[in-house]
Amino acid sequence: MLKLMLKFVSCCRAADLRISTAEVLDCMEQLKLVDIHDEFQFKTVLRTNFAKSRMDQSKFDQLYHLFFYEMESNLSAAAEKSPEQLGMEAVIHMMEKELAGDDLDTSLMDFLSGNPLNYIGEVQAIHNREEKAAKALKSNMGQLSSRLEVMLKINRLKAGAVKFMGGNHANIDDSLKAAIENQINTRLESAYNLLNKEPRPDNAGLQKFSGREKHFNTIGEIPFSNLSKRETKEVRDIINKLVRKLEEITTLRYATNNKGVMDVKKTIRNSGKYLGIPIEIKYKNKPLRKGKIVTLCDVSGSVWSTARFMLNILYSLQICFSKVKSYIFISDMTEITEYFVEYNVNDAIKKIMNNTDINYNSMTDYGMAFQHFKNRHLNELDKKTTLIIIGDARSNYMNPQEFILKKMRERCRRVIWLNPEQEQFWSAGDSEIYTYKTYCNEVRACGNLNQLVDFIEALII
Amino acid sequence: MPDGFHIKKIIQQIIDHSRWLDILIPHYYVVSIHLRRTIVDRRCTMAFKSVVDVQEKLGSVSYISSKEIATVVYLAGATKKPVLVEGPAGVGKTELAKSVAECLKRDLIRMQCYEGLDESKALYEWEYAKQLLYTQIIKDKINDVISESSTLAEAIDQIAGHEDAFFSHRFIQTRPLLQAISSPEPVVLLIDEIDKSDPEFEAFLLELLSDFQVTIPELGTIKAKTHPFVFLTSNNYRDMSDALKRRCIHIYIDYPAIETEMEIVRLKIPGIDEALLKKIVTMVARIRELDLKKKPCISETLDWARSLIALQINDLSPEIVTSTLNTLCKHKTDYDVVKNNILTVTRQTSQC
Repeated sequence: MLKLMLKFVSCCRAADLRISTAEVLDCMEQLKLVDIHDEFQFKTVLRTNFAKSRMDQSKFDQLYHLFFYEMESNLSAAAEKSPEQLGMEAVIHMMEKELAGDDLDTSLMDFLSGNPLNYIGEVQAIHNREEKAAKALKSNMGQLSSRLEVMLKINRLKAGAVKFMGGNHANIDDSLKAAIENQINTRLESAYNLLNKEPRPDNAGLQKFSGREKHFNTIGEIPFSNLSKRETKEVRDIINKLVRKLEEITTLRYATNNKGVMDVKKTIRNSGKYLGIPIEIKYKNKPLRKGKIVTLCDVSGSVWSTARFMLNILYSLQICFSKVKSYIFISDMTEITEYFVEYNVNDAIKKIMNNTDINYNSMTDYGMAFQHFKNRHLNELDKKTTLIIIGDARSNYMNPQEFILKKMRERCRRVIWLNPEQEQFWSAGDSEIYTYKTYCNEVRACGNLNQLVDFIEALII
Repeated sequence: MPDGFHIKKIIQQIIDHSRWLDILIPHYYVVSIHLRRTIVDRRCTMAFKSVVDVQEKLGSVSYISSKEIATVVYLAGATKKPVLVEGPAGVGKTELAKSVAECLKRDLIRMQCYEGLDESKALYEWEYAKQLLYTQIIKDKINDVISESSTLAEAIDQIAGHEDAFFSHRFIQTRPLLQAISSPEPVVLLIDEIDKSDPEFEAFLLELLSDFQVTIPELGTIKAKTHPFVFLTSNNYRDMSDALKRRCIHIYIDYPAIETEMEIVRLKIPGIDEALLKKIVTMVARIRELDLKKKPCISETLDWARSLIALQINDLSPEIVTSTLNTLCKHKTDYDVVKNNILTVTRQTSQC
């Protein structure tokens, strides 16, 4: 039993579920308490110990199914092996001899013979592979080609199995042959599925806002990209008002912050005035909540019209919170916090648009931008940071590298994604928002004034 | 024969030393058979015996639990580990803790988390005002203590000998967490909406959850007298740290399946018409599928069913649903969404 469990745990770990030794110990302890012949209870114990968030549960279910159903025949601890198993072993042994035998081959053969550990590791590595930064020509082939390699190998194995079965082998009769062929095919099928059908984690905490409240009637509904010159000015005025409101709220916070615990030192010092009798009690001021905000803003062509407003918002955020770091990206990422500190809003935006080291002609690549952020600025994120990403997630079919976003989410308090496109367009074209959505705590459409007001109110109040 | 009060006292003592119970009871002939039974009953209700037992006991206090919930609660009880309950608002996370407390006949200590919650509000606080007051009152006494000393250093030494008087349990104001572990009877501790608290608070919970002890610098480590049954609930506003998750047993509660929800409504509103019940529950399930700001939860289903009964309505036409929608949708925008989709919602129901 212990061996079996350890095997399962190492498979889970290979598939990027984090399971500590303490959890394995707990699980073994708890298995003693339940009726393990009742599969439901058995599964519940495993699940409750190994998949400790809703996001991990779908992955756990997939692995559980693979391990305890598809690989089932190898689990029985019986000393006597069935003729089918013996035959299977013989076939695999023969096929192993024929293959060239690099790492992938061995792990695939292991998978066939019922040991999925190495294969799961290989697949996970493919999912998490970072694209290499290419300067001249960019493609999303890196991940796809390594997948293709595995798929080709699987096909070759299938063909090999058929060929092998067609040949004449003395000690295997026909019905057994069919059974073995069947099993090899199902296993290869599940290897294929494991590679291509990674389950989307169920993001239970995701909050979605479509913003249906109408703060401003006509002007509030016009998308930022369709504003005329006069309307732009009007929107800007309204945003300025909003910003002032934000500032007022932040100052209010300063006013109400000093109701904390009694400060003994100060009270005693103060009691000197009254012959040592502490009449006046002094309180410790509560420190202000030091939330940090990190914003990543897409400034590429597709969100160009909205980008200016977004930068405007970034600017106002910087005034209201003590620690804000702002970055803009297209496929590179660069920090713009300095501009906002030094210049007033319009000059700052003008300067950003003109003289940063961002290449405005390159193609948007969210995956690459995230990778840059991870390599250079990941230590900006901590458990008090709210990460706000502004962009339409249109990544020109490049590898989205969503596992980097996952890593970023693990390090910060909340991830909020503001999408300037309206929700009905999210699924169209090269938008990756549905991929990224799984790793966000909150996704909002934010393309007109009403939605923007909604967001700011939710953020501050 | 001692009077009633005495018997109560004796029983209390016996329960306190319940490991001696098996030795004591056969010899303790003062305790009548009837009383012995109540003691044994009481000891039995203090813990769950099996998964089925959990389901039955929760059922007896009107909480319909799925098999998964029952398994997890049983495991938590048997291994004395905290349970981390996740799920959308209004599926009965808090109710689960309350029901466990009720069927185990334990007190429930509840702590609501919020941003800015700190140790002094959750664990303990020194009562400075009281300490100061006491120093003022016993000023003369302090003078007596140091009157015999000739030098300043000697006086300080003498006072230091009495330091403990000021940092003792007398001056500690206990807050929910300390209360829970220092209670002589085991309790159920509910830490509600842990995701709303700060990461610092989460870190400070770790010691309590794994070892059931807290450290107060002036007094040392306080170990739990009894192990509380701990529930932590979370709405997934943010992710919990791995360290906290590792110490807990995790369970995710989703909106109940149609049959389960029907059972719940039947239990809370006995005598409801079956056909109407089915229509109500399916319709609420359909409404939950819409893109809403706040999905209707179980208690809102109950409210709706109650108001329909009060209005003596038996058939759910689109008009009636729209006019009673206020009990289900608590946002104007949600109300509009359901109103726009009213035909789909009601048509699908009549098909079912």
